[in-house]
Formats: sequence, C-alpha cells, structure tokens
Amino acid sequence: MWEEVIVRGTVDGALYALIAVGLNLQYGVTKILNVAYGQFLLIGSLITAALFNLFGVNPIISLTVSAIGLLLLGFLVYPLVFRKIVLESKSTEEIEVRSLLICFGLLFTVSQVMTAIILRNPRLLTLSINFLKDVITVLGVKIELNRIVTTFISLIISMILYVMLRYTRIGLALRAASQEPTGAKIVGVNISRVHLISFCLSLLLASIAGSLASMINPYLTSAYASQYTFIALTIIVLGGAGSFIGSLVGGFLMGYIIQLVLKFEPLLAMPVVYIFLVAILIIRPKGLFGR
Amino acid sequence: MLKGKLNSLIKILCIAAVLVVLAAAPYFLSQAYVMVLRQILVFAVLSLSWFFFSGITKYISLGSVAFVGTGIYFTSIYLYCMHQPKPLFPFLPFPVIVILAGLICFALAFAIGIISLRLRGIYFAIATFGIGQLVGGIFGWWQNVTRFVPINVPLPVQYTRDFNLQYYSVLTATVATFFIITILLRSKFGLALRMIGECEEAAAHTGVNTTLYKTLGFAISAFFMGLAGGSYTISFYSLNLNSVFTVDYSFLPPVMVLLGGVGTVYGSMIGPPLLILISEYLRQTIAGGYYQITYGVILVIIVLFAPNGIMGVIGKLKSAKLLKGKMVKTS
Repeated sequence: MWEEVIVRGTVDGALYALIAVGLNLQYGVTKILNVAYGQFLLIGSLITAALFNLFGVNPIISLTVSAIGLLLLGFLVYPLVFRKIVLESKSTEEIEVRSLLICFGLLFTVSQVMTAIILRNPRLLTLSINFLKDVITVLGVKIELNRIVTTFISLIISMILYVMLRYTRIGLALRAASQEPTGAKIVGVNISRVHLISFCLSLLLASIAGSLASMINPYLTSAYASQYTFIALTIIVLGGAGSFIGSLVGGFLMGYIIQLVLKFEPLLAMPVVYIFLVAILIIRPKGLFGR
Repeated sequence: MLKGKLNSLIKILCIAAVLVVLAAAPYFLSQAYVMVLRQILVFAVLSLSWFFFSGITKYISLGSVAFVGTGIYFTSIYLYCMHQPKPLFPFLPFPVIVILAGLICFALAFAIGIISLRLRGIYFAIATFGIGQLVGGIFGWWQNVTRFVPINVPLPVQYTRDFNLQYYSVLTATVATFFIITILLRSKFGLALRMIGECEEAAAHTGVNTTLYKTLGFAISAFFMGLAGGSYTISFYSLNLNSVFTVDYSFLPPVMVLLGGVGTVYGSMIGPPLLILISEYLRQTIAGGYYQITYGVILVIIVLFAPNGIMGVIGKLKSAKLLKGKMVKTS
C-alpha cells in the first residue's frame, strides 16, 4: 500500500509541482494570483486532445503547438487586461485584490467558453487521450507507461525553468523583479517587460501541464481544471510565495498527501487540501520555504 | 435644514413605494416574472450582507457559499426530517427554522472569523474561499458516510406548492435585512466597521476593539446570508449538495456589489436586479446555458473601467454637473 502511495504520489506530485511552479512564477513577479490558471491549462489540454483525437498527432509533439498557442494568448491577455491595473494601482495590495477579481472574471468566462466548445464536440468530451497505455511495474505497483512519461517531462521542464531562472540574464531579471521590484527598476530592469514575460512564460508552463494532464487524467473537465488551480494554490502557500524549491517540494508533498487520503476516504481528498490551505495561511503564512 | 427633512421624507416615500410594489407583485405579475423577482430578492440580501462586512471593512470574503449553503442545507434537512412519518426533529414553524439556520451560520462565522480574520488582503480572500469549499466538501462526506438524508433531499409538498409562501418568505427576509443593516450602519457599530475599513491601526488606537467588531460584523453578515438561504430553500422541489454549494453564491454577491458601487447601501441594491435581469435576458435570447459568461465579462469590465461601480459613475456625472453650475454662477 505504501509503495502505491509513493509511486502514484510521485507521478501526481511532479505534475502538481509543474503547475505550482508556473502559478508561483506568475504571482511572484506580477503579483497576479491567477485563479483562472487551471482554465488556461485546460486550453492546453484541449489543443492536445483535439490534435490527437482528430488528426492523431503525437501529444509530445503537439505539446509544443499548445505551448506556443498559449504563449501568444498571454501576449494578448496581459496588455489587454492587466497592464491597466498595474499602472493605475497605488499599492501592491490594490494590484493583488483587483487582479484577483479580474482573474475570477476570467475563470467564469474561459470555463464557460471551454465547456461550450467541449459539449459541442462529442469527440472531445473527455479531453483524455489514449496514448501509451501499456502497463509496467514500478516498485511492485502496476502503472501505465504514459504516467511515467509525464512525470519525466514535468521534471525536465521544471529543471529547465530552474536553470533558466538561476543562470540566464532574463532569469536574473525575473528574480530581481520578484524580490525587490523598486530596486530592480533602479538598476535598469524593464519591469513592465519582465511582467509580460513572466505572465506569458507561466501560461506556456500551464499549457504544457495541460497537455500532460490530458495524457493521464481521464476525467478532465472545467471543474477538474479548477481543482488543479486550488491544489497549486495550496502548494504555493505551503512552499512559500516566490520560492521555486518550495513549490517543487510542496508539489510532491501534496501528491503524497492526496494519494494517502484517497486510500482511506476518497471524498475527503479535496477537503483535506482546503484544510491544508487554511491551516498554513493561519499558522505560517510565509510557507515552509518563505523568506 | 428644511431641505434635509424634505430629502429624507422623499427617501422614506420612495422606500415605502418600492415595498408596496414588491408586496403586491404576485397579484399583477405572471408567475415567471415573480420567480425572477424572487431570485433578485435573494441576491439582494446576499449582496447587502456581503457589503455590510466585506464592502465596508475591505476584507474581501469569497466564501459566502459556506453560509448560504449551510442555511439552505440545514433548512432542507430540518423540513425533510420534520415531515417524515416518524419526525426526527420537533415541529417548528417555518420562520423559526429559517431564523435557526441564520443563528447556526452566525455561530459558524464567528468561529471562522476568529481564526481567519487575522489575515489581510489577498490572504483573507483565499482563506475564505478555501473555507467555503471546505464546508461543502465536509457536508458531502458527512452525507456519504451517515446517509442521514438522501442525496437529493426532497422538500415537503405543502411548502413547494405554496407559491405565495415562497415569495413572501424571501421578501420578508429581504425587508428585515435591509432595515436591520441600515440601522446597524448608522449605529456606533457601523462607524467602527467603517473605521476598520479606512485604517485599522487608527481605529485600534482610538479604542475600537477591532478583533471583536470584525468577528461580530462577519458573523452578522453570515446570519443574514443564512437567513436568505433558509427562506429560499422552499423554492426548490429537491436539493442536492452540488446545487446548494455552488460557487455562484460566493462570487455573485461581490460582483453585484462592485457593479452597483461599494460606497453605499443603495449601490449594493442596484447590482442584483441589474445583473440578474441581464443574465436572464441573455439566457433566454442568445447565450443559452452559457449565460455565466456575462458575469465574468461584467466583472472584468467593472474592475478595469469603473472600480467604483454604477454609483461611482453617477457620482462623477453629478460632480461634473455641479462644477458646471458653479462656473455659470461665478461668470
């Protein structure tokens, strides 16, 4: 039983970590807490599922297509919706609250549009794709090959992001804007461009996560996508806002916790996530790895 | 002085006229319109009570569903069990059950407030959202484990058939909420909440027990939400947890208050009829089942272009006119 929790928890945790890292990047730099993140993720899965179910494109290839698609969407959404708020607001708190409300608006809009598209196309009804379903045994646990593949892809993408944040010029700018916006501005970082880049980059991560989710989640719907958002939100609160390592560790931790609860009482899985969310906010709002 | 008295007289007359029209509505409107009106009234209570706490203190709560849902679900369970062949609960008149539902929400909110109101800004919003979802999830688990009530709780026929009872119970809850909240806002209690909204540190320094007032304000607003939920219960034939604990109850009150304008009570009374009429119209014409898109689009547009809502726009227009008048006088 414990082997199963560990194996399945690792598989889920890698995906949760990828989602949380993207959301955390967005929140850490732009202070936009994107509660519609799961819906953007769903757009990625829709593109992948459509390409696979209608044209038979390999999801690992169509992953790049959906990633580019969402990157472009980000370039469209950010200037249209969020730039005005960032320019107008007087304090960080005001940006946070107003963009949170906007994101709830986006959540309603995108989820309804997605539901409409899904319901009109019977072949996209589940958004899940039949890819690499061969069963292999890991640590005595039977598991489909596609889950292993998604785990590795999630980890590789997270590692690429980490290397980028740590060792490149743009990564330095992103970290600077996240930790000390005013200081970053003074030393010559173009804050508004950095905001745009981080917003689009995290949407790109969302689409990759969405494509991977459509490979392993047979029940992917708009409601389920929101669950991913709230799991990711809990992970960010758990790991600490702005902490990359925190989100990664928190992701795996959440994967194990959810699998453990699923073993005993499946209906309590989401309530436990929410209990964690509220409890950490109250006991240690900075999170485990927060500064 | 005289002008002030005249103004307040006009205000009272307007309110009285609206009340008379609302009370007489079932006699001159068809049933379909009264059903829309009923929904408007329920959301008027919700947005009023949301405004009473979150609008004034600026602690944005996104977990109203915890209280509305508890109100509805408690009332439906009580009615269901009361009318079983072997009643599990003692017989109580319907209004008493609704008030009981409100009191349960009051207690629940008091407990939640004590632990969550130390958070501020976005953290409070997230925490309340989590709590809202949590309450629904725990009810679902409880239902599944104990099977105390069926998944679809049927409501006794004598309530669901009585169309007038359904409408007037909601109307009574609305009127009571409106008057009590107006009185509370004019009292010392309302002043304290306003001070907390303006600057919490300053309020604490002038001797306002901010923790107590915040928690009490949160609990009172939850009481009215429970009242709204309880009085709305009998408008359904049967209820299940998915329809009771929908996020609509969490999101629509803030959207409506923002649409009307956060500044005044009247602002939160404009939002519900406007939003529900728009979405109802769209549902029957073009949008079909996807009318919720309107909520999203409206929310985005308000936050972007009119952060003070319709009252803010009216205020701007008024001040522009005033400026014009002054200029005419001086020239």
